[in-house]
Amino acid sequence: MTADPNAATQSYPSRPPAPHHDSPARYLVPALVAAAVAVALGVYGKVHDPAGTAFNLAGFSSTSAVKSWLATTAFFFALVQVVSAFMVYGRLPGPSWSATLHRWSGRIAFLVAVPVAVHCLYAFGYQTYSTRVMWHSVLGCAFFGAFSAKMLLLRSERLPGWLLPLVGGLVFTALTLLWLTSALWFFRTFGVTT
Amino acid sequence: MKRPGPLLTLLAGLLLGLFMLTLNTTSGTKTVSSKQGEASPSAPAKASQRPSATPTPTPTPSATPSKTPVANANYAGRTDDDAASVAVSVRDGKAVAYFCDGRYKEAWLRGPVDDDGTMKLTAPNGAVLDGKIQQGKKISGTVKDEGRPYTFTADKAVKPSGLWRATAKVRGAKIDGGWIVLPNGRQTGIVTRDGKATSAPRIDPETGAVTIDGQQLTAQPVTP
Repeated sequence: MTADPNAATQSYPSRPPAPHHDSPARYLVPALVAAAVAVALGVYGKVHDPAGTAFNLAGFSSTSAVKSWLATTAFFFALVQVVSAFMVYGRLPGPSWSATLHRWSGRIAFLVAVPVAVHCLYAFGYQTYSTRVMWHSVLGCAFFGAFSAKMLLLRSERLPGWLLPLVGGLVFTALTLLWLTSALWFFRTFGVTT
Repeated sequence: MKRPGPLLTLLAGLLLGLFMLTLNTTSGTKTVSSKQGEASPSAPAKASQRPSATPTPTPTPSATPSKTPVANANYAGRTDDDAASVAVSVRDGKAVAYFCDGRYKEAWLRGPVDDDGTMKLTAPNGAVLDGKIQQGKKISGTVKDEGRPYTFTADKAVKPSGLWRATAKVRGAKIDGGWIVLPNGRQTGIVTRDGKATSAPRIDPETGAVTIDGQQLTAQPVTP
């Protein structure tokens, strides 16, 4: 099985690094947007008066349970992300649609994480009253910043080959730590409940 | 070639987030409704004078448009004689307070907060709290319980400090637990089993988790 270097779905990661004489805005804009997103979320969480609660979904005992399951869903798709990324880069054998799988599992993971973040920011805000909570607050803001940067970087061509894997890895690490400091903690404290 | 996909993904997330936020800010009351069976006698009368006392997050009082209402906050502290704890939660011009000595004396008090920060809260058992918010930093006042006045000062407190409550039925007995968590971590709580009050076990201030009579309960922060 030989990989076609011109296959449309695999073109962007396998391109060789180009000489760097183009505008630094390609890196600056995603970095600034990432910082702006993270800071904006943190400021909102800090300034907004935590409501303590928000709407719940039918069939779940608490909003925390809903969030834990949504977060677990996001984490599952994040694992799919890692595997499919290795496939796209040819480090793992994968089907021809592994790039599509990577895109759509990422979209789902992100869209599933958004309601969780909205609830966190609206009901709890940015808090630092324990180590777990502090890390969760920091990483929650950083995650959406890093994700925004990743999305914007995808629009650039001829990036250094290590950049997307690095940013993608950061996004995945942040999400994993977020899940460990929230959903896993919830399941361990209250039991695996719906 | 510019790929629109990543931007569309971000846009979809942004729209979804804004949509959920709108749902939150426009939907229903933000109260711990199941725990508020008893309404204080003065609350309905005052509420009718203040039609703005709805739980919108940006209160714009129509009855007194020239003044700004008091800010939402929690306060917690001790009585001056160190016999009991007092915690007050202020939301949208209303307040709920818990007075608790950690042994047998407790009262849940409710009522409106005037725009200058003064409040008169009452409890079904006749207890009365007169207090005033001082520059948004603390409440000083008096709780009158069973004819005895207790002066107190309650400083502004952030979660997990404040008032917590858990209600449940354990083996047929009605359990009603109330806790005050002070900013220094000190807790004062009472569990009432079918009307009999005793000291409450400590709650986990992070989760509200507490075990009462072998049953794991979760105390919730109380808001008016």
